[in-house]
Amino acid sequence: MTALTLTRPIPSGTQQWWVLTARLIAPTLRNGEVAVGVAVSVAATASLYIPLNRLMDGPDLQMSSYAQYLVPLIVLQAIAFASISTAFRAATDSVQGINRRFQSLPIASLTPLAARITAALYRCVIGLVVALAAGYVIGFRFHRGLWYAAVFCLLTLLIGLALALLGDTLGTKSRDPAATAQWLLLPQLIFGFLSVGIQPLHRFPEWIRPVVDNQPISRLVYALQALAGDSAGGVPPVTWSVIGPALAWTVGIMAVTLPWAVVVYRRRT
Amino acid sequence: MAVLEGVPVVGAAEAELAGSENSLRSLLSQTAVLTGRLLLRSVRSPMTLVHAVLLPVAFLLTLKVVFGDSITAITGENALYRSVPLVALLATMSGSTTGMVGINAERFDGFLARMWSLPIHRGAGLLSRLGAETVRLVFTTLVVLGTGMALGFRFHQGVGAAVLWVAIPVIFGVAFAAVATTVALYWRKTVMVEAMQPVIILGATFCTGFVPVDRYPDWVQPVVRYQPMSLAVDAMRGLSVGGPVLSPMISTLIWCAAIFAVCLVPLLVGYRRASTSR
Repeated sequence: MTALTLTRPIPSGTQQWWVLTARLIAPTLRNGEVAVGVAVSVAATASLYIPLNRLMDGPDLQMSSYAQYLVPLIVLQAIAFASISTAFRAATDSVQGINRRFQSLPIASLTPLAARITAALYRCVIGLVVALAAGYVIGFRFHRGLWYAAVFCLLTLLIGLALALLGDTLGTKSRDPAATAQWLLLPQLIFGFLSVGIQPLHRFPEWIRPVVDNQPISRLVYALQALAGDSAGGVPPVTWSVIGPALAWTVGIMAVTLPWAVVVYRRRT
Repeated sequence: MAVLEGVPVVGAAEAELAGSENSLRSLLSQTAVLTGRLLLRSVRSPMTLVHAVLLPVAFLLTLKVVFGDSITAITGENALYRSVPLVALLATMSGSTTGMVGINAERFDGFLARMWSLPIHRGAGLLSRLGAETVRLVFTTLVVLGTGMALGFRFHQGVGAAVLWVAIPVIFGVAFAAVATTVALYWRKTVMVEAMQPVIILGATFCTGFVPVDRYPDWVQPVVRYQPMSLAVDAMRGLSVGGPVLSPMISTLIWCAAIFAVCLVPLLVGYRRASTSR
């Protein structure tokens, strides 16, 4: 009888992470999550490009086409949507009590978080691939070769990681899917529209230019536009002065979120 | 025993006084109570205020800053006469998602089933949601309108037109809420909230309130011109700055009535199902 109490399992952290990740990813094809992710990316492309192409295109873009100018913003919108889904999922998990259940089991306290972040990256990859495919259709091309295209994707996924961490922490903390759901829509549009991804800086009213120029989306758009390149040559070369601020914003978001996430996630609910 | 026997007698007497469960009187009074409950819940959660007030206002300002000058230059009239209606409509739609999540939450924590088992008029549950939604729609529309007025939006067609202007987003919002609630009752997975987002975004961006119709590619112009949000924006533009009203107004009402009629039966059946089974 003592054998029963002695054979306490020593679960491997990696295996637990994989099981919890599979729990989130496996049902996505069936429950429509992948379909919705694809639809959101396509909708983001269509809803920005089709109405704005004739309105925004002009010689002062200094780009070969508005598609080439716009796609970095579309990619970022797709990534943002993926992260807000993560927040919504985290809030649902939190309110349904499965987090509390995990805390009562021999699972390291950050393993469920790691699993949800992995699932978030999976959503980001779907969003990125679909947005790039849709961008290809409207005329977006990588002009600087394979390596820069790879860096373009890596930078995008890094932002996705930062936003997923932020979204997950917000969702877990709020424990309120209804309130989180509302964040799906308007904030992204506001941040996206007030960035240089939609039109060049000089077309904004003068008083708001410093804000537009320095906000994170704009900085990321500058970096992504440079990495994608252009046939017309109006894009700045890839230098640290272009990539640096984008990286700094991304790392900054993570640096602020990570300690907060640990506090939120360790708290007994 | 005597006490227990007394209970149904008192209950019956009270029921006599208040009217039976199916009477119009109890429908009205119970709807009022339940509407109050829903409104109180929204008022007490600070996020509702953010969503009903802050986000639409911020979005209206964004549209003004980003596209205002370009649109005004093209059309020759203040872009606000398009963007204020657009944001009013958008705010009504984006707020409906809270209701979608709410009705599903109440379904799963058993509140709907509990209400079904009480002597409450069968129509009170859904009518109270309609009532609370209408209050929210009027409030949000007035907030957007107030912001527009502060930016320079004016009514040039008199008081009657202004009242009609406010009524359009409310009518449209009720029709959209019917769609959203029906979807929520049948598709209970959390993805459905996300699934509504592309619909809202495409509706708002393929709309005459976003960009004038002749700026769209030719093949998509008919869609832009005749989709309900464009027609509603056109009617509201006519009611404020002037222009054709009757035709877009009638088309908008037909759209809304049709949407509401299509959703009505599935909505009633779905609500009954949600109340009687988990």
